[in-house]
Formats: sequence, C-alpha cells, structure tokens
Amino acid sequence: MKRDPHLQNVVSRMASGLLSRDGFLGDDPRRLEEILDADNSAVVGLGVTHEALAATLEGIFEKARAGLGTPVPIGGRHVAVHHEAMGRIPCPWGRCGVFPKGEVELADTATGEAIRFTALSIHMIAEHGFYQGRGSRYRLEPAALALFPPAGSTPAGG
Amino acid sequence: MGTVLLAALVSGATSGILAVLLVVAERYLADYGTCVVDINGGSKRLEVQGGKTLLATLMQEGIFIPSACGGRGTCAYCKVKVREGGPPVAPTETALLAAADLAASVRLSCQVKVRNGLAIEIPESLFLVKQFTGVVERIRDLTHDIKGLRIRLVDPPAIEFTPGQYVQLETPVYGDNPEPVYRAYSIASPPSDREHVELIVRLAPGGICTTWVFTLLKEGDTIRFNGPHGEFRLSDTDAEMVWIAGGSGMAPFWSIARHMREKGIQRKATYFFGAVKPRDLFLVDELRQLEKELPSFRFVPALSGAEGDGWDGEKGLITDVVGRHVEGGAAKEGYLCGSGGMIDASVKVLVAKGVPQERIYYDKFT
Amino acid sequence: MTPDTPAVGLLVILISAALTDNILLTRFLGMCSYLAISRQIKSSLGLGLAVTFVNTVTCALNAALYRYVLEPLGLHTSLKLILFIVVIAATVQLIEMVIERVSLPLYYALGVFLPLITVNCAILGTSLFMVNKGLDVVQSTVYGLGSGLGWMLAIVLLAGIRQRLKTAQVPRGLEGPGISLIITGIMALAFVAFTGMIQS
Repeated sequence: MKRDPHLQNVVSRMASGLLSRDGFLGDDPRRLEEILDADNSAVVGLGVTHEALAATLEGIFEKARAGLGTPVPIGGRHVAVHHEAMGRIPCPWGRCGVFPKGEVELADTATGEAIRFTALSIHMIAEHGFYQGRGSRYRLEPAALALFPPAGSTPAGG
Repeated sequence: MGTVLLAALVSGATSGILAVLLVVAERYLADYGTCVVDINGGSKRLEVQGGKTLLATLMQEGIFIPSACGGRGTCAYCKVKVREGGPPVAPTETALLAAADLAASVRLSCQVKVRNGLAIEIPESLFLVKQFTGVVERIRDLTHDIKGLRIRLVDPPAIEFTPGQYVQLETPVYGDNPEPVYRAYSIASPPSDREHVELIVRLAPGGICTTWVFTLLKEGDTIRFNGPHGEFRLSDTDAEMVWIAGGSGMAPFWSIARHMREKGIQRKATYFFGAVKPRDLFLVDELRQLEKELPSFRFVPALSGAEGDGWDGEKGLITDVVGRHVEGGAAKEGYLCGSGGMIDASVKVLVAKGVPQERIYYDKFT
Repeated sequence: MTPDTPAVGLLVILISAALTDNILLTRFLGMCSYLAISRQIKSSLGLGLAVTFVNTVTCALNAALYRYVLEPLGLHTSLKLILFIVVIAATVQLIEMVIERVSLPLYYALGVFLPLITVNCAILGTSLFMVNKGLDVVQSTVYGLGSGLGWMLAIVLLAGIRQRLKTAQVPRGLEGPGISLIITGIMALAFVAFTGMIQS
C-alpha cells in the first residue's frame, strides 16, 4: 500500500542500526500505521490519553533520575533505577529535536516484572502515540501502562 | 502495415522528445557549477563543486564539522553559521534549531546544499581537527561494564590536544547497520603521550557503538576517529578546583590529572567520583598513587548503594558527599563530567555552596 | 451571463468535474494514495494541491497531443493510453526538477508527493474521460482543474474525519483502511446529492 513520504522517512529512521542498535520496531511484523492505530484504539478503549500515560512515566522518570543510579521507591510496590548513558538521540519523526540517552527501569517488587523507558520513548508516546513495536526493549503495552501506577492521576508515589 | 509503422514512429518520437527534454532539464537544473565557499571573512576560500551538502563538501576539503548522525539531519551537532548565500531553511532544520540559532544565521550544515557561493563562519579550533586512523593496542576491562581502549596512532602518527578534549569515534558498518555512526569520547590519556589515545567506554544497552566495542572490536583492529573537539579544559587561574564525575566521566579527569602530575601543576584539586556499588569503581589504585605523587590532589570515591558490601569510604549520593566536603565555594571552580542528571544535581550543590555559576565547567553530552 | 456563453460552459465543466462527477467519489479513481495520505490533514492538502496542479497541466497537454497529433494521424484509439502515461510520467519528473531548483519551501510542501502522483490513476483517468467527453484544449484544462480540485476535496474531507476518529472507538480490525473505505462510501452517497445541480 502507498505511504506518505514523510511517514516513509520516519519508518526508515526506525530501522535497526540507524539511530539505535535495535531500532524502534522490534520484531513486529505489522506496519507502523497498524501499530499506531492498534495502540491508539487500546488507549481510547481504556478511557485515557497518550499525554496522560506519558505524564505518569515522566513523573517516575524525574524521580528516578534524581537518584543518580540508586533505586528509588515508587508507590508501595515499585522501584525505579535510572541507568545513565552519554549522548543524545533524535526522534525518528525528525522534527522534534534530540533527547538525552539513558533509561529508567521500573520494577514491581512483588512480581519482579519490569518495564523500561527513556526520555525519547516518553516523548514518542506523548507526541506521536507511538509505543514502539513488539519486541523492542522499550515497548510498552498501553493496557499494562494504565495500571502501573495509576495513570492520569497525580504522579505516583506521593 | 503503414499504420503500424506510423504508430511506432509517433510513439517513438513522442517518447524521444520527452526523454531529451528531461535530460536537458536535469543537466541544466541539477548542475550547480563551481561555488566559492568563503570561511571566516576571507581567511580561507574554497572552490568546490556545487550540489553536495555543506557538511560533505567541507569534509572533502579536510574540514571536519562534528557530526554524530553522519549527515542525516538528526543529531544537530553540525551547526555552522551561514552568513550569506544560504538556501531557505529546511523543515528538518527548523525542528532542531532554536529561534536564537536561526536568528543568528546558524544552520545545520548537513541540510544546507551548496548551490551557489556561500560565506560561512566556523570556530578557528575546527581547523585543527583531523581525521585519524589507528590500531587498537590494548582493550582492558575496567569494570563489569566499562572498558579502556588504548589506541596507537598510525595516520597521522601523533595528536596534539588540550587535556579535557574529546574525539568523535567512528563505528564502522557491522551487522545490518547501513552506515557508520560517530560517538563522542573524552581522551583519557595525557597529551604528552602523543602517539596514543586512550578512551574509556561504558556499555549502553542497545548502543550501536558500545555493542561494537564490547562484542566485535579486537586488539589489532584498525580504528578511526576525528578530533580533537571540545572546550572543556582547566582554566587559566590558580583557583582551587572541585571535580565531580561518575562512570565513564572519569576519562577527561584521568587525562587532566596525569597531565598535572607530569607538569608538576600544584593546583589544589579534589576529585569526587560517584558510583553505586564497589564493583563500579576503577583506577582506584592508580588514583591513590597519584595522590601520593601530587599532594595538592585528593581523590574521594563515594558509593550510594553499598550497604552491606564492606565499603568504609564515603557513602551517599555524590552530590550529598560534595555538600559535606565543600565549603566557601566563592573562590573555587567546578569541573563536571557525566550524564545530564548528574550535572544538573552537581551544579545545584556547587552553587548552593557559593561557587559562581560561570566558574562551573562541563561539556554537556546529554 | 446567458446560459450559452463559453464562460458559463467552462464553469459548468469545472463544477461538474469537482462535485457531480467527482473523480474519486463518483468514479472511484485515485484511491490508493487517498487512503494512505489522509492520515494527516497537512499532507492531504499538500498532495491535493500537487494532484490538482499536475492534473490540470497533463490534461491540457494530453488534449493537445490527442487533438493535434493522434487524431489527424488516425492513431488515437491505439496509442492514446500509452502516450498519455508517458506524457504524465515525463511531466511529473520535469515539474519535480523545476520545483526543487526554483523554490525549496514549495518542494518540501508539494514536491515530495510528486513521485506518488505518477502512479495515481485519477490523473490518467482524467485524461481518458476528457477524450470520452470530446473536450477541446481549453475545456480540458478546466476539466483537469475541476477534477483535481474534486480529488483534493475528497482527500481533505477524509483527513478531517480521520482526525476526529482518533478519539473514537473504531471496531477492532477496521482501523485504518477498513473504516476509511466505509467513510468513503458514505461520502460518495452524500455526493450523489449533487447530481441534480446541473441540468445537462
């Protein structure tokens, strides 16, 4: 199917080995438009917005960053650690500027499950509704995210 | 029969005329001829073939504008002031250039196509930047996720730089990667070792360059970089210094400290190095030795997550440790190297202790 | 103006091409890029303007080629299809080169869509309908303009609707092309309302 040349540029920039080693599409066989539409549907179905989910992540990110690498408790049962990385990475949409590298790992102390996100992945959720392809290190499922501490409310942890 | 021939003739003629028209148009429209690039108000003039980007054109002429993305318009490192002759600003530029940049005619040289004569301004220090090829002499594991590289220079065989500067390391194409990428690394060796360059590289998950260094690079491999770049260096004063770093931020300070030892620079310096666990520390013995040889130098490692690890040194976040040790900062200077979060927090604590904001120096890599 | 003046005739051609005989909503041509680009309103405007421009120019050129070269030589039935395609492809290529040289902002706004237009069957369709209707060169130019404007109207409308759909619950599996085609069908039904507008 045909594609908007601007979106084609975005998809090319998401390929592995260009901006980051593994790219942003993981091993997802779906086209970018399908991924965006499916995640958008999921978010609308949950009754939240991309911006609200991103804002929750942003709050956790800032708390973790202040910990300078030491684990920071979030809410009752989560712990966040910021792993630094030097350098900046641009948004594949190409018109949004560059973002500091470095990831935050948010782990559930009860189950041991963890999600990871970066300044760039938060931006892509807020501005483009992009949660990355399945198989990507920073892929976030909107359904899981909406539970993980309460999205849409004040930044978690209190 | 006649109709067939006529039809063939007419279709051939129409296609032919259109083809000729296109070829002529392309020659006329896509040929930009020779263009003159005037640098720094006439101090250097280049006559170049038009049609390529300013970044690529300058690189061909031996002038290396820093670039991390290889000219794809995504890193915003390649800023150049184009005073005259610049084409209209491209959408890729408006995304990455601040309003102040655009007002000052600062452009992304990888997006500016040389179509006519240009007058540009670049920092004089860029003329000293060269492309280097070297051989990896030694790869050393410093911690579980940090390696030290020692590179012997081949072409050119020697490098001149100020301690604190960095190089742009070229990661060659490997795996499915389509193009080389460039990443900045501070030089960790002192300038007296002119034939070598040492780098400290920390593994980043999913990093193109660090994956290459940690899994593919071997001793004896050829390695390329350009440099030296950067304004981070000791100031001209004799003021007491507070150094703060963590992880791979050790690199420029390892260069500066050894340089100070060699030159007998007696300037008072306290080096705060922050990490989480004891296994994140490295070069501790070497720095303790340096403390003995340079009495004005003091090394203070601090761990923020080492409960129960038998660590009897300083404990807590590096910024808290700095807060405990530093007083009366009005006459002191700060030198920082690390991630954005660490730098922001360090600036805050130093300013709170009285160090003037303009005397806190750092290259902000994030 | 009396109903029979040439100007009114051209006006009728323009309006019928844009509304009552809309190349996309009535004739269902040019759907491929219409479905793909209508995700963004800005891109839709850009593509729409580019299609309008190319449509006008190529319809005029093809009319001239048909009238003054093919018809006199009796080759009009056999060669019109292939030569129309060749003319469209060459024209688009030429326009792209000229725009890139003459105006970079225009190139970034419209020029990037030009490669999509060569294979847009609405462009070829316009030229072929022009032949069916027996229009002269001036009428063809107006017809091309109207047809392009009609196509642009359709894509911009769909883009606007899809923008609103972002916050709506679309049945699973219908996201993207599915719901777009359903909307297009409804829009086509709505455009049937224009049929009575022009008394032929």
